[in-house]
Amino acid sequence: MKRWLIATGLVVAMLAFGIGIYHTAAALKGDHKVIRRPTAITASPLPGTMYVVQGGAVYRFHHGSFSQVTADDGWMQPAATPSGQLVAVKREENYSDLYLLSTSGRQVAQLTHNSSPGSVESNHWAFYPRLSPDGQTLFYAFDPKDPYNDYRVDLAIFASRVNTAAGPVAWTQPNQFTGGDVTPVPLKDGGLIYTKYSIDDQSQVHSQVWIQRRAGSVGVALTTADLGCSQPAISPDEKSVAMVCNRGSGQSAELDVASFDAASLTLGPPTTLVSSELVASPAFAPDGKTIAFLAPARPGGGFQLWTANPSVAGSVRDITTDLGLDSTSAPVWLAG
Amino acid sequence: MPRAWIVVLGFLLAGLGGLGAYFFPVLQTAGSASSGPGQITALNPVSAPTEPFTVLLLGSDDDSKFPPDRLNTQSMILVRVDPATKQATLLSIPRDLWVPIPGQGAGKISTAYNLGGPDGAIKAVETNFNVHVDDYVWIGLNGLVKLIDKLGGVNLQVTNPVMDDFYPADLNSAGDPYGYYRVAVLPGATHMDGVRALQYVRSRHGDLRGDFARSERQQQLLLAIKAQGSHLSVADLPTLAGALNGEVKTSISIDRLRALMSIANDFNTKNVHRIVLLPPYTSEGWADGQSVVFPNWPQILPLVHQTFP
Repeated sequence: MKRWLIATGLVVAMLAFGIGIYHTAAALKGDHKVIRRPTAITASPLPGTMYVVQGGAVYRFHHGSFSQVTADDGWMQPAATPSGQLVAVKREENYSDLYLLSTSGRQVAQLTHNSSPGSVESNHWAFYPRLSPDGQTLFYAFDPKDPYNDYRVDLAIFASRVNTAAGPVAWTQPNQFTGGDVTPVPLKDGGLIYTKYSIDDQSQVHSQVWIQRRAGSVGVALTTADLGCSQPAISPDEKSVAMVCNRGSGQSAELDVASFDAASLTLGPPTTLVSSELVASPAFAPDGKTIAFLAPARPGGGFQLWTANPSVAGSVRDITTDLGLDSTSAPVWLAG
Repeated sequence: MPRAWIVVLGFLLAGLGGLGAYFFPVLQTAGSASSGPGQITALNPVSAPTEPFTVLLLGSDDDSKFPPDRLNTQSMILVRVDPATKQATLLSIPRDLWVPIPGQGAGKISTAYNLGGPDGAIKAVETNFNVHVDDYVWIGLNGLVKLIDKLGGVNLQVTNPVMDDFYPADLNSAGDPYGYYRVAVLPGATHMDGVRALQYVRSRHGDLRGDFARSERQQQLLLAIKAQGSHLSVADLPTLAGALNGEVKTSISIDRLRALMSIANDFNTKNVHRIVLLPPYTSEGWADGQSVVFPNWPQILPLVHQTFP
C-alpha cells in the first residue's frame, strides 16, 4: 500500500513537473507589453487640461488622471473651440464627419455630412479640424472629387465660416496623386500653415510645412523638401513652430522647433529636441513653455504622451508608459 | 534498472512531454508549411549563420478570387543578408516585369509562381537576374495580417496620405470578392494592426508612383516587422506557428529559422540597403495586350550584382 502511494505521488510529481516545464517555456516569450485603457492608469500631472485619443475614444487628462469623454466609436483628432467646446472627427468605414461636442462628449451638432447612399467612392473624408483663433472659421482636410479621374483622392484644406450659410471654400491646391494637404494650423492674421506633400522626378516623397495668406493663393514653403517636415504646431505667441521632420528616413522622425517670422514668412534654423524616434503630433502648452508629443516608449510599442521643453534640448519627460494613443490625433492642451 | 534511474527517467520524459506540448504547433507547421523535414528541432543548439545568403520573399493575393493553386505573386522581394558585415539589401522586383519565364515563354514575372509554384518563381528570378536564391518564404494576405497582429502590431512612418477609393474588400469576404471600400491611411509615425498595415502596403490607386510606391512601402513594412520581431524569443514560435499554420510556405527549416532569429538583432535599419527598380532601371509599356514593366538589363544587372553575386 505504502509503495503504491509513493508511486502515485511520484507520477503526480512528474506530471506537475511536465506542466511546470510547459509554463516555464511560455514564460520565456518575448516582451509584449499590454496596452492599458487611459482610465486604468495614473500619470505625472501636467498643468491645465489635455485631450487625447485612444481606441476611437476621446479622453480628458487632468491632475494626472484620465476620464473618458466619448464612447469608443471612431472618434479622433479633437480640437478646441474658443468657446470651450470640442470639434472632433467621427470616422466610419468609408467616410468621416466633423462634430461639435461639449467637453463632456455630448454631440452638440454635426458639422459635415459626408456619407453617401450612392457608390462607395462618392463618400467623403473630413480630417484634422481646427478653429481659427477668432473661432469664426473651421479649417479641415477634405477630399474633393476629381471629375476626370476616379482614382485621384487627394485631401485639400477647406474652410467653412461658422454660423453662416456660405459653403466651404477650398484653401489649398494639393499636388496630384500625393494624398494631398493635411494638418491645417490657422493663424491669428487669417493665414494658414499646413503640410503639403510632393513627389519628385526620382519618385521620392517629400513633406513640407507650407504657409498661405489667403484661400487659393500659391503659398510658400517654410521648410525645404530634404528636411521632410510635417505636422506643424504653433506656439500661442506665434513666434515658434514645432514640427516633425524625418530627413528622408522612413523609419524615424524627430521633433524640431524653429522660430517663425510671420512678416517675412520664414522659419529660423530648426533645433532638434528629440531625435531617432518615431515622433508624432506635437502641441504647445497654453503658456508656450512646453511641447507635448506622442512617441512609442520602446520600438514597436504603443504611442505614449511625452513632453519637452523647447528651450532645453534633451529635456524630454515621459508622461505615460503603457497606453496606445492615436498618433494621428495631436493632444489638445488647454489652460485651466 | 535501479529505481532511482526510473524516477529520473520519468521526470525527464515528463519534462520532454511538457516541452513537446508547448512546441507542438511549431512542429505541426514545420510539417505542413515547410518543404524541409518537420523533425523535433526546437531545442537543438543552433549556430548563427556566418555566410551570406539570399531569400526570395513572395506575397500573393490569396483571396477567394483565385483558386489556391493558381496564385500570382503581387510582391517579390529579394533579400541578401551578410552576417559578417551586418549588411542587408532588399530588392523589390516589379510584379509586372516582362521577362522570359523558364519553360513558359515571355510573361509577367508575377505569373511564374502561378505556373511553377515556388520553384518556378525562384527559377524566373535566378535566370533573369543571374543570382542564386537559397531559400524562399511565401505569405498570403491573411498570413500577413495574422503575423503582424501576433507581433502586437508594427510601428512605421506613413510617408504621405495613402488614399484609395477602390481598395479590394476581399479579405475574409464571404460575399462579393470583387467588392471594394475606401482606405485613408493618414501620414506620420503610427502604430498599425495587421489590417491597416496590409492596406498601407497593398493600396496603389491613389499614388502617383503606383506599384513602385507599394514596393517601397512593402520594404518599409518588412523593416518594421523585423524591428518588432526582435522582441521575440524561441518561446514565441508556437504562438506564431499556430497563427500562421497554412498561411506561410517556406523552404527554411525550424533550425534555420532559429539561427536567423539569433542574428536578427545584429542588423541596424541603417545597414539595410533598399532598392526599387524605378526608371531608368525599368520603363512602362505594353506587351501582349497587357500593361507591363520592361527591364533595362544593362542598368539592372550591374546594380544587382553589386550585392547579389
